[in-house]
Amino acid sequence: MKWELADKALHSDFLRTVEELSEQNLSSCYQCGKCSGGCPISAELDLSPNRLLRMVQLGLEDEVLGSETVWCCAACGTCTGRCPMNIDLGRVMDVLRGLALRRQVAPPPTAAPVLTFYRSFLDAVRRFGRLTEVGLMGSYNMNSGRVFTNMDKAPWFLIKRKISFSPHKISRIDRLERVFRRIEEIEGT
Amino acid sequence: MKYAYYPGCSLLGSATEYARSSEATLRALSVELEEIEDWVCCGATAAHATSHLLSLALPAISCSAAEKKRLDVLTCCTACYSRLKQANHEIANDPALRSQVNQIIEEDYQGNVRVLHIAEVLSNELGLDTVRGCVSRPLEGLKIACYYGCLMARLPDHLRVDRAEYPMMLDDLMRAAGAEVIDWPYKTECCGAGLTLARQKTVVRLSGDIIQIAKESGAEALAVACPLCQANLDMYQSNVEVQTGRSLGIPVLYFTQLLGLALGATPAELGLEKLIVDPLPLLAEKGLVSGGVYL
Repeated sequence: MKWELADKALHSDFLRTVEELSEQNLSSCYQCGKCSGGCPISAELDLSPNRLLRMVQLGLEDEVLGSETVWCCAACGTCTGRCPMNIDLGRVMDVLRGLALRRQVAPPPTAAPVLTFYRSFLDAVRRFGRLTEVGLMGSYNMNSGRVFTNMDKAPWFLIKRKISFSPHKISRIDRLERVFRRIEEIEGT
Repeated sequence: MKYAYYPGCSLLGSATEYARSSEATLRALSVELEEIEDWVCCGATAAHATSHLLSLALPAISCSAAEKKRLDVLTCCTACYSRLKQANHEIANDPALRSQVNQIIEEDYQGNVRVLHIAEVLSNELGLDTVRGCVSRPLEGLKIACYYGCLMARLPDHLRVDRAEYPMMLDDLMRAAGAEVIDWPYKTECCGAGLTLARQKTVVRLSGDIIQIAKESGAEALAVACPLCQANLDMYQSNVEVQTGRSLGIPVLYFTQLLGLALGATPAELGLEKLIVDPLPLLAEKGLVSGGVYL
Protein backbone atom coordinates (compact mmCIF):
# COMPACT_ATOMS: atom_id res chain seq x y z
CA MET A 1 0.00 0.00 0.00
CA LYS A 2 1.17 3.51 -0.81
CA TRP A 3 0.34 6.77 0.94
CA GLU A 4 1.14 10.23 -0.20
CA LEU A 5 2.71 12.46 2.40
CA ALA A 6 1.27 15.89 1.78
CA ASP A 7 2.84 18.88 3.47
CA LYS A 8 -0.54 19.58 5.04
CA ALA A 9 -0.60 16.19 6.81
CA LEU A 10 2.96 16.51 8.11
CA HIS A 11 2.13 19.87 9.67
CA SER A 12 -1.30 18.96 10.97
CA ASP A 13 -2.10 18.78 14.67
CA PHE A 14 -3.23 15.15 14.47
CA LEU A 15 -0.21 13.68 16.27
CA ARG A 16 -0.40 16.29 19.02
CA THR A 17 -4.15 15.75 19.47
CA VAL A 18 -3.75 11.97 19.82
CA GLU A 19 -0.79 12.40 22.17
CA GLU A 20 -2.70 14.82 24.39
CA LEU A 21 -5.92 12.82 24.53
CA SER A 22 -4.12 9.53 25.22
CA GLU A 23 -1.43 11.07 27.46
CA GLN A 24 1.19 9.06 25.56
CA ASN A 25 4.47 10.08 23.96
CA LEU A 26 3.97 8.58 20.52
CA SER A 27 7.12 10.14 19.12
CA SER A 28 9.14 7.70 21.22
CA CYS A 29 8.06 4.71 19.07
CA TYR A 30 11.11 3.41 17.20
CA GLN A 31 9.31 0.70 15.21
CA CYS A 32 10.54 -2.41 17.02
CA GLY A 33 7.31 -4.15 15.98
CA LYS A 34 6.63 -6.00 19.24
CA CYS A 35 3.05 -4.69 19.24
CA SER A 36 2.38 -6.23 15.85
CA GLY A 37 4.23 -9.44 16.71
CA GLY A 38 1.93 -10.03 19.67
CA CYS A 39 -1.29 -8.70 18.14
CA PRO A 40 -3.72 -11.63 17.71
CA ILE A 41 -5.36 -10.15 14.63
CA SER A 42 -2.76 -7.96 12.91
CA ALA A 43 -2.34 -10.49 10.08
CA GLU A 44 -6.01 -10.01 9.15
CA LEU A 45 -5.98 -6.22 9.14
CA ASP A 46 -5.11 -3.47 6.69
CA LEU A 47 -2.69 -1.76 9.08
CA SER A 48 -0.49 -3.55 11.60
CA PRO A 49 -0.29 -1.69 14.93
CA ASN A 50 3.30 -0.44 14.41
CA ARG A 51 2.42 0.83 10.94
CA LEU A 52 -0.67 2.55 12.28
CA LEU A 53 1.44 4.28 14.92
CA ARG A 54 3.94 5.47 12.32
CA MET A 55 1.06 6.89 10.28
CA VAL A 56 -0.18 8.78 13.32
CA GLN A 57 3.32 10.26 13.66
CA LEU A 58 3.12 11.34 10.01
CA GLY A 59 -0.29 12.98 10.44
CA LEU A 60 -2.19 10.63 8.10
CA GLU A 61 -5.46 11.28 9.86
CA ASP A 62 -7.97 10.13 7.23
CA GLU A 63 -6.11 6.89 6.51
CA VAL A 64 -5.74 6.05 10.22
CA LEU A 65 -9.30 6.92 11.31
CA GLY A 66 -10.78 5.13 8.32
CA SER A 67 -8.77 1.93 8.81
CA GLU A 68 -10.05 -1.52 9.69
CA THR A 69 -7.48 -1.75 12.47
CA VAL A 70 -9.01 1.04 14.53
CA TRP A 71 -12.30 -0.85 14.79
CA CYS A 72 -11.24 -4.51 14.62
CA CYS A 73 -8.74 -4.21 17.48
CA ALA A 74 -9.89 -6.77 20.06
CA ALA A 75 -8.71 -4.54 22.95
CA CYS A 76 -6.67 -7.43 24.36
CA GLY A 77 -3.85 -5.15 25.56
CA THR A 78 -0.93 -7.27 24.34
CA CYS A 79 0.62 -4.29 22.51
CA THR A 80 0.44 -2.17 25.65
CA GLY A 81 1.95 -4.91 27.80
CA ARG A 82 4.93 -5.49 25.51
CA CYS A 83 5.90 -1.99 24.35
CA PRO A 84 9.52 -1.31 25.39
CA MET A 85 8.79 2.42 25.42
CA ASN A 86 5.72 1.94 27.63
CA ILE A 87 3.33 3.37 25.08
CA ASP A 88 -0.23 2.41 26.04
CA LEU A 89 -1.29 1.59 22.49
CA GLY A 90 -4.60 0.15 23.72
CA ARG A 91 -5.46 3.59 25.06
CA VAL A 92 -4.32 5.18 21.80
CA MET A 93 -6.74 2.89 19.94
CA ASP A 94 -9.58 4.04 22.22
CA VAL A 95 -8.69 7.67 21.48
CA LEU A 96 -8.59 6.99 17.71
CA ARG A 97 -12.03 5.34 17.80
CA GLY A 98 -13.39 8.31 19.78
CA LEU A 99 -11.91 10.73 17.20
CA ALA A 100 -13.33 8.72 14.31
CA LEU A 101 -16.80 8.97 15.85
CA ARG A 102 -16.51 12.67 16.63
CA ARG A 103 -15.14 13.53 13.20
CA GLN A 104 -17.71 11.23 11.60
CA VAL A 105 -15.23 9.06 9.73
CA ALA A 106 -17.14 5.90 8.86
CA PRO A 107 -15.43 2.53 9.39
CA PRO A 108 -14.67 0.57 6.19
CA PRO A 109 -17.40 -2.00 5.30
CA THR A 110 -15.32 -4.90 6.65
CA ALA A 111 -15.12 -3.25 10.07
CA ALA A 112 -18.62 -1.75 10.22
CA PRO A 113 -20.16 -4.73 12.09
CA VAL A 114 -17.86 -4.04 15.05
CA LEU A 115 -19.20 -0.51 15.47
CA THR A 116 -22.75 -1.83 15.02
CA PHE A 117 -22.07 -4.31 17.80
CA TYR A 118 -20.76 -1.61 20.18
CA ARG A 119 -23.77 0.60 19.41
CA SER A 120 -26.24 -2.27 19.98
CA PHE A 121 -24.46 -3.08 23.25
CA LEU A 122 -24.60 0.48 24.59
CA ASP A 123 -28.20 0.99 23.43
CA ALA A 124 -29.19 -2.02 25.52
CA VAL A 125 -27.25 -0.72 28.54
CA ARG A 126 -28.91 2.67 28.15
CA ARG A 127 -32.37 1.17 27.98
CA PHE A 128 -32.12 -1.36 30.81
CA GLY A 129 -28.95 -0.58 32.79
CA ARG A 130 -27.89 -4.17 32.32
CA LEU A 131 -27.37 -6.30 29.29
CA THR A 132 -29.22 -9.41 28.23
CA GLU A 133 -27.18 -11.40 25.76
CA VAL A 134 -30.23 -12.61 23.84
CA GLY A 135 -31.43 -9.03 23.42
CA LEU A 136 -27.97 -7.95 22.31
CA MET A 137 -27.73 -10.76 19.76
CA GLY A 138 -31.17 -9.93 18.41
CA SER A 139 -30.56 -6.22 18.05
CA TYR A 140 -27.07 -6.78 16.61
CA ASN A 141 -28.45 -9.17 13.99
CA MET A 142 -31.15 -6.69 12.99
CA ASN A 143 -28.90 -3.61 13.00
CA SER A 144 -26.09 -5.29 11.07
CA GLY A 145 -28.37 -6.96 8.53
CA ARG A 146 -26.60 -10.24 9.34
CA VAL A 147 -29.82 -11.74 10.60
CA PHE A 148 -28.53 -15.28 11.06
CA THR A 149 -25.34 -14.57 13.00
CA ASN A 150 -24.82 -17.33 15.56
CA MET A 151 -28.22 -18.89 14.86
CA ASP A 152 -26.51 -22.29 14.55
CA LYS A 153 -25.63 -21.90 18.24
CA ALA A 154 -29.18 -21.04 19.29
CA PRO A 155 -30.20 -24.64 20.15
CA TRP A 156 -27.33 -24.81 22.66
CA PHE A 157 -28.42 -21.60 24.28
CA LEU A 158 -31.90 -23.02 24.70
CA ILE A 159 -30.98 -26.55 25.75
CA LYS A 160 -28.39 -25.36 28.24
CA ARG A 161 -30.61 -22.50 29.37
CA LYS A 162 -27.74 -20.13 28.80
CA ILE A 163 -29.97 -17.19 28.17
CA SER A 164 -32.27 -15.16 30.24
CA PHE A 165 -35.20 -13.66 28.35
CA SER A 166 -36.42 -11.21 30.94
CA PRO A 167 -34.55 -7.91 30.75
CA HIS A 168 -32.84 -7.02 34.02
CA LYS A 169 -33.93 -3.44 34.37
CA ILE A 170 -32.36 -1.34 37.10
CA SER A 171 -34.57 0.91 39.19
CA ARG A 172 -32.75 4.22 38.63
CA ILE A 173 -32.98 4.07 34.84
CA ASP A 174 -33.91 7.78 34.66
CA ARG A 175 -30.60 8.73 36.24
CA LEU A 176 -28.76 6.52 33.74
CA GLU A 177 -30.48 8.28 30.85
CA ARG A 178 -29.26 11.64 32.24
CA VAL A 179 -25.72 10.17 32.48
CA PHE A 180 -25.75 9.18 28.80
CA ARG A 181 -27.17 12.58 27.75
CA ARG A 182 -24.60 14.57 29.73
CA ILE A 183 -21.76 12.57 28.19
CA GLU A 184 -23.14 13.08 24.69
CA GLU A 185 -23.29 16.83 25.34
CA ILE A 186 -19.70 16.94 26.61
CA GLU A 187 -18.25 14.75 23.91
CA GLY A 188 -20.36 16.15 21.09
CA THR A 189 -21.39 12.77 19.74
CA MET B 1 -14.87 -11.47 55.46
CA LYS B 2 -17.49 -9.57 53.53
CA TYR B 3 -17.47 -7.96 50.10
CA ALA B 4 -19.76 -5.90 47.91
CA TYR B 5 -20.66 -8.29 45.11
CA TYR B 6 -20.73 -7.08 41.53
CA PRO B 7 -22.06 -10.02 39.45
CA GLY B 8 -22.03 -8.31 36.02
CA CYS B 9 -24.41 -9.00 33.14
CA SER B 10 -22.92 -12.28 31.88
CA LEU B 11 -23.39 -13.90 35.28
CA LEU B 12 -27.13 -13.28 34.96
CA GLY B 13 -27.25 -14.79 31.47
CA SER B 14 -24.83 -17.08 29.67
CA ALA B 15 -22.66 -17.60 32.76
CA THR B 16 -25.12 -18.37 35.56
CA GLU B 17 -22.95 -21.41 36.34
CA TYR B 18 -20.04 -19.05 37.06
CA ALA B 19 -22.26 -17.17 39.51
CA ARG B 20 -23.55 -20.36 41.14
CA SER B 21 -20.13 -21.97 41.47
CA SER B 22 -18.52 -18.77 42.75
CA GLU B 23 -21.21 -18.36 45.37
CA ALA B 24 -20.87 -22.05 46.38
CA THR B 25 -17.08 -21.74 46.62
CA LEU B 26 -17.21 -18.59 48.73
CA ARG B 27 -19.92 -20.09 50.95
CA ALA B 28 -17.72 -23.13 51.60
CA LEU B 29 -14.91 -20.78 52.64
CA SER B 30 -17.17 -18.55 54.79
CA VAL B 31 -16.74 -15.45 52.65
CA GLU B 32 -19.88 -13.28 52.73
CA LEU B 33 -21.26 -11.36 49.78
CA GLU B 34 -23.66 -8.44 49.68
CA GLU B 35 -24.86 -7.70 46.16
CA ILE B 36 -24.44 -4.05 45.15
CA GLU B 37 -27.89 -2.52 45.01
CA ASP B 38 -28.97 -1.45 41.54
CA TRP B 39 -25.54 -2.06 39.97
CA VAL B 40 -25.22 -1.17 36.30
CA CYS B 41 -23.31 -2.79 33.44
CA CYS B 42 -19.59 -1.84 33.38
CA GLY B 43 -19.87 -1.01 29.68
CA ALA B 44 -17.11 -3.51 28.84
CA THR B 45 -15.21 -2.91 25.59
CA ALA B 46 -18.17 -1.16 23.95
CA ALA B 47 -17.88 1.76 26.39
CA HIS B 48 -14.11 2.23 26.52
CA ALA B 49 -13.84 1.75 22.75
CA THR B 50 -16.19 4.60 22.05
CA SER B 51 -16.29 6.99 25.03
CA HIS B 52 -13.72 7.56 27.76
CA LEU B 53 -16.21 9.33 30.05
CA LEU B 54 -18.80 6.57 29.71
CA SER B 55 -16.13 3.97 30.52
CA LEU B 56 -15.57 5.80 33.83
CA ALA B 57 -19.15 6.81 34.62
CA LEU B 58 -20.71 3.33 34.39
CA PRO B 59 -18.26 1.63 36.79
CA ALA B 60 -18.35 4.67 39.10
CA ILE B 61 -22.11 4.29 39.64
CA SER B 62 -21.66 0.75 41.00
CA CYS B 63 -18.44 1.44 42.93
CA SER B 64 -20.08 4.46 44.53
CA ALA B 65 -22.86 2.23 45.90
CA ALA B 66 -20.19 -0.07 47.38
CA GLU B 67 -18.32 2.88 48.90
CA LYS B 68 -21.47 3.95 50.74
CA LYS B 69 -21.57 0.48 52.35
CA ARG B 70 -17.82 0.71 53.14
CA LEU B 71 -17.14 -2.57 51.40
CA ASP B 72 -14.53 -3.58 48.83
CA VAL B 73 -15.87 -4.85 45.52
CA LEU B 74 -15.60 -8.50 44.52
CA THR B 75 -16.30 -9.49 40.94
CA CYS B 76 -15.86 -12.73 38.98
CA CYS B 77 -16.05 -11.59 35.36
CA THR B 78 -12.59 -10.49 34.20
CA ALA B 79 -14.05 -7.85 31.87
CA CYS B 80 -15.96 -6.24 34.74
CA TYR B 81 -12.85 -6.58 36.92
CA SER B 82 -10.63 -4.87 34.38
CA ARG B 83 -13.07 -2.02 33.71
CA LEU B 84 -14.04 -1.41 37.33
CA LYS B 85 -10.44 -1.48 38.52
CA GLN B 86 -9.07 0.84 35.85
CA ALA B 87 -11.95 3.30 36.09
CA ASN B 88 -11.72 3.32 39.87
CA HIS B 89 -7.98 4.01 39.72
CA GLU B 90 -8.36 6.92 37.28
CA ILE B 91 -11.14 8.47 39.34
CA ALA B 92 -9.26 8.09 42.62
CA ASN B 93 -6.09 9.69 41.27
CA ASP B 94 -7.42 12.60 39.22
CA PRO B 95 -9.45 15.13 41.27
CA ALA B 96 -10.61 17.11 38.23
CA LEU B 97 -11.84 13.98 36.48
CA ARG B 98 -13.44 12.79 39.73
CA SER B 99 -15.49 15.92 40.07
CA GLN B 100 -16.53 15.74 36.41
CA VAL B 101 -17.61 12.10 36.76
CA ASN B 102 -19.46 12.87 40.01
CA GLN B 103 -21.40 15.65 38.29
CA ILE B 104 -22.33 13.28 35.51
CA ILE B 105 -23.47 10.43 37.77
CA GLU B 106 -25.00 12.60 40.53
CA GLU B 107 -22.87 11.05 43.26
CA ASP B 108 -20.01 12.00 45.54
CA TYR B 109 -17.71 9.09 44.85
CA GLN B 110 -14.16 9.33 46.22
CA GLY B 111 -12.62 6.22 44.68
CA ASN B 112 -11.96 4.63 48.05
CA VAL B 113 -13.02 1.07 47.31
CA ARG B 114 -10.68 -1.68 46.21
CA VAL B 115 -11.79 -3.77 43.24
CA LEU B 116 -10.86 -7.43 43.63
CA HIS B 117 -11.21 -10.45 41.40
CA ILE B 118 -12.53 -13.59 43.11
CA ALA B 119 -9.26 -15.42 42.37
CA GLU B 120 -7.37 -12.59 44.07
CA VAL B 121 -9.65 -12.77 47.13
CA LEU B 122 -9.14 -16.54 47.38
CA SER B 123 -5.38 -16.60 46.90
CA ASN B 124 -4.29 -13.28 48.45
CA GLU B 125 -6.91 -12.26 51.00
CA LEU B 126 -7.98 -15.70 52.20
CA GLY B 127 -4.74 -17.48 51.38
CA LEU B 128 -3.86 -20.69 49.59
CA ASP B 129 -3.31 -22.54 52.88
CA THR B 130 -6.87 -21.80 54.00
CA VAL B 131 -8.25 -22.95 50.66
CA ARG B 132 -6.13 -26.12 50.74
CA GLY B 133 -7.28 -26.82 54.30
CA CYS B 134 -10.95 -26.86 53.22
CA VAL B 135 -10.50 -29.27 50.31
CA SER B 136 -12.47 -32.46 50.94
CA ARG B 137 -12.40 -33.96 47.45
CA PRO B 138 -8.93 -33.33 45.93
CA LEU B 139 -8.93 -33.24 42.13
CA GLU B 140 -6.29 -35.94 41.97
CA GLY B 141 -5.09 -37.01 38.55
CA LEU B 142 -6.94 -34.26 36.70
CA LYS B 143 -4.67 -32.47 34.21
CA ILE B 144 -5.74 -28.86 33.87
CA ALA B 145 -4.54 -26.03 31.64
CA CYS B 146 -5.32 -22.70 33.31
CA TYR B 147 -6.34 -20.12 30.74
CA TYR B 148 -6.29 -16.49 31.89
CA GLY B 149 -7.15 -14.68 28.68
CA CYS B 150 -6.31 -11.03 28.24
CA LEU B 151 -8.16 -9.07 30.82
CA MET B 152 -7.20 -10.75 34.05
CA ALA B 153 -3.44 -10.72 33.67
CA ARG B 154 -2.83 -7.80 31.37
CA LEU B 155 -3.76 -4.79 33.46
CA PRO B 156 -1.30 -1.87 33.48
CA ASP B 157 1.79 -2.53 35.67
CA HIS B 158 0.62 -0.50 38.68
CA LEU B 159 -2.72 -2.36 38.87
CA ARG B 160 -1.59 -5.87 38.16
CA VAL B 161 -1.51 -8.51 40.89
CA ASP B 162 0.03 -11.35 38.86
CA ARG B 163 2.66 -11.73 36.16
CA ALA B 164 1.49 -10.43 32.78
CA GLU B 165 3.00 -13.04 30.46
CA TYR B 166 2.95 -16.16 32.61
CA PRO B 167 0.44 -15.69 35.43
CA MET B 168 0.14 -18.34 38.16
CA MET B 169 -2.82 -17.31 40.32
CA LEU B 170 -5.30 -19.80 38.85
CA ASP B 171 -2.59 -22.48 38.66
CA ASP B 172 -1.86 -22.06 42.37
CA LEU B 173 -5.56 -22.33 43.21
CA MET B 174 -6.02 -25.43 41.06
CA ARG B 175 -2.95 -26.96 42.69
CA ALA B 176 -4.42 -26.16 46.09
CA ALA B 177 -7.52 -28.07 44.92
CA GLY B 178 -5.29 -31.07 44.25
CA ALA B 179 -5.21 -30.92 40.46
CA GLU B 180 -2.18 -31.32 38.24
CA VAL B 181 -1.60 -28.07 36.31
CA ILE B 182 0.23 -28.18 33.04
CA ASP B 183 2.88 -25.83 31.75
CA TRP B 184 1.73 -24.41 28.42
CA PRO B 185 2.41 -21.36 26.25
CA TYR B 186 -1.07 -19.97 25.51
CA LYS B 187 -2.21 -18.89 28.99
CA THR B 188 -2.75 -15.27 27.99
CA GLU B 189 -3.34 -15.47 24.23
CA CYS B 190 -6.51 -13.68 23.14
CA CYS B 191 -9.61 -15.81 22.28
CA GLY B 192 -11.11 -13.03 20.16
CA ALA B 193 -13.34 -11.88 22.99
CA GLY B 194 -15.99 -9.33 22.07
CA LEU B 195 -15.51 -9.86 18.34
CA THR B 196 -17.57 -13.03 18.74
CA LEU B 197 -20.57 -11.71 16.77
CA ALA B 198 -18.93 -9.18 14.47
CA ARG B 199 -15.92 -11.27 13.36
CA GLN B 200 -16.76 -14.88 14.03
CA LYS B 201 -14.05 -16.36 11.78
CA THR B 202 -11.37 -14.55 13.76
CA VAL B 203 -12.76 -15.90 17.00
CA VAL B 204 -12.91 -19.49 15.73
CA ARG B 205 -9.27 -19.25 14.57
CA LEU B 206 -7.98 -17.78 17.83
CA SER B 207 -10.05 -20.02 20.12
CA GLY B 208 -9.13 -23.04 17.99
CA ASP B 209 -5.42 -22.36 18.45
CA ILE B 210 -5.85 -22.15 22.22
CA ILE B 211 -7.79 -25.41 22.54
CA GLN B 212 -5.44 -27.31 20.23
CA ILE B 213 -2.29 -26.11 22.03
CA ALA B 214 -3.89 -27.04 25.38
CA LYS B 215 -4.65 -30.54 24.12
CA GLU B 216 -1.18 -30.99 22.62
CA SER B 217 0.32 -29.85 25.93
CA GLY B 218 -1.49 -32.69 27.69
CA ALA B 219 -4.49 -30.93 29.20
CA GLU B 220 -7.70 -32.87 29.84
CA ALA B 221 -9.69 -29.76 30.73
CA LEU B 222 -9.36 -25.98 30.68
CA ALA B 223 -9.95 -23.80 33.74
CA VAL B 224 -11.06 -20.25 32.90
CA ALA B 225 -12.11 -17.10 34.75
CA CYS B 226 -13.86 -15.09 32.04
CA PRO B 227 -17.42 -15.63 30.72
CA LEU B 228 -16.46 -14.54 27.22
CA CYS B 229 -13.44 -16.86 27.06
CA GLN B 230 -15.60 -19.70 28.36
CA ALA B 231 -18.31 -19.07 25.76
CA ASN B 232 -15.85 -18.79 22.87
CA LEU B 233 -13.75 -21.85 23.80
CA ASP B 234 -16.77 -24.02 24.63
CA MET B 235 -19.23 -22.93 21.93
CA TYR B 236 -16.82 -22.84 18.98
CA GLN B 237 -15.01 -26.08 19.81
CA SER B 238 -17.28 -28.00 17.43
CA ASN B 239 -16.50 -25.49 14.62
CA VAL B 240 -12.78 -26.10 15.20
CA GLU B 241 -13.34 -29.86 15.13
CA VAL B 242 -15.14 -29.58 11.78
CA GLN B 243 -12.42 -27.32 10.34
CA THR B 244 -9.49 -29.44 11.47
CA GLY B 245 -11.16 -32.86 11.21
CA ARG B 246 -9.79 -33.61 14.67
CA SER B 247 -11.81 -34.46 17.73
CA LEU B 248 -10.98 -32.24 20.71
CA GLY B 249 -13.53 -32.80 23.50
CA ILE B 250 -11.81 -30.53 26.02
CA PRO B 251 -14.31 -29.38 28.67
CA VAL B 252 -13.96 -25.67 29.48
CA LEU B 253 -14.85 -25.15 33.14
CA TYR B 254 -14.90 -22.06 35.27
CA PHE B 255 -12.12 -22.42 37.82
CA THR B 256 -14.75 -21.96 40.53
CA GLN B 257 -16.59 -25.06 39.27
CA LEU B 258 -13.43 -27.11 39.78
CA LEU B 259 -12.56 -25.48 43.07
CA GLY B 260 -16.15 -25.83 44.29
CA LEU B 261 -16.06 -29.53 43.42
CA ALA B 262 -12.89 -29.95 45.48
CA LEU B 263 -14.57 -28.11 48.36
CA GLY B 264 -17.42 -30.63 48.36
CA ALA B 265 -20.14 -28.86 46.35
CA THR B 266 -22.44 -31.02 44.21
CA PRO B 267 -22.43 -30.92 40.37
CA ALA B 268 -25.91 -29.35 40.46
CA GLU B 269 -24.77 -26.54 42.78
CA LEU B 270 -21.91 -25.86 40.37
CA GLY B 271 -24.00 -25.84 37.20
CA LEU B 272 -21.82 -28.45 35.48
CA GLU B 273 -24.77 -29.39 33.24
CA LYS B 274 -24.62 -25.97 31.57
CA LEU B 275 -21.35 -26.55 29.76
CA ILE B 276 -21.57 -27.48 26.09
CA VAL B 277 -18.58 -29.85 26.07
CA ASP B 278 -19.80 -32.18 28.81
CA PRO B 279 -17.26 -32.42 31.67
CA LEU B 280 -19.06 -35.26 33.48
CA PRO B 281 -17.48 -38.25 31.65
CA LEU B 282 -13.99 -36.93 32.46
CA LEU B 283 -14.87 -36.11 36.08
CA ALA B 284 -16.53 -39.52 36.52
CA GLU B 285 -13.47 -41.26 35.06
CA LYS B 286 -11.36 -39.53 37.72
CA GLY B 287 -13.85 -40.57 40.41
CA LEU B 288 -14.78 -36.97 41.18
CA VAL B 289 -18.49 -37.31 40.47
CA SER B 290 -20.61 -40.42 40.78
CA GLY B 291 -22.02 -42.09 37.68
CA GLY B 292 -25.51 -41.26 38.90
CA VAL B 293 -25.36 -37.66 37.78
CA TYR B 294 -25.67 -38.67 34.13
CA LEU B 295 -29.35 -39.38 34.80
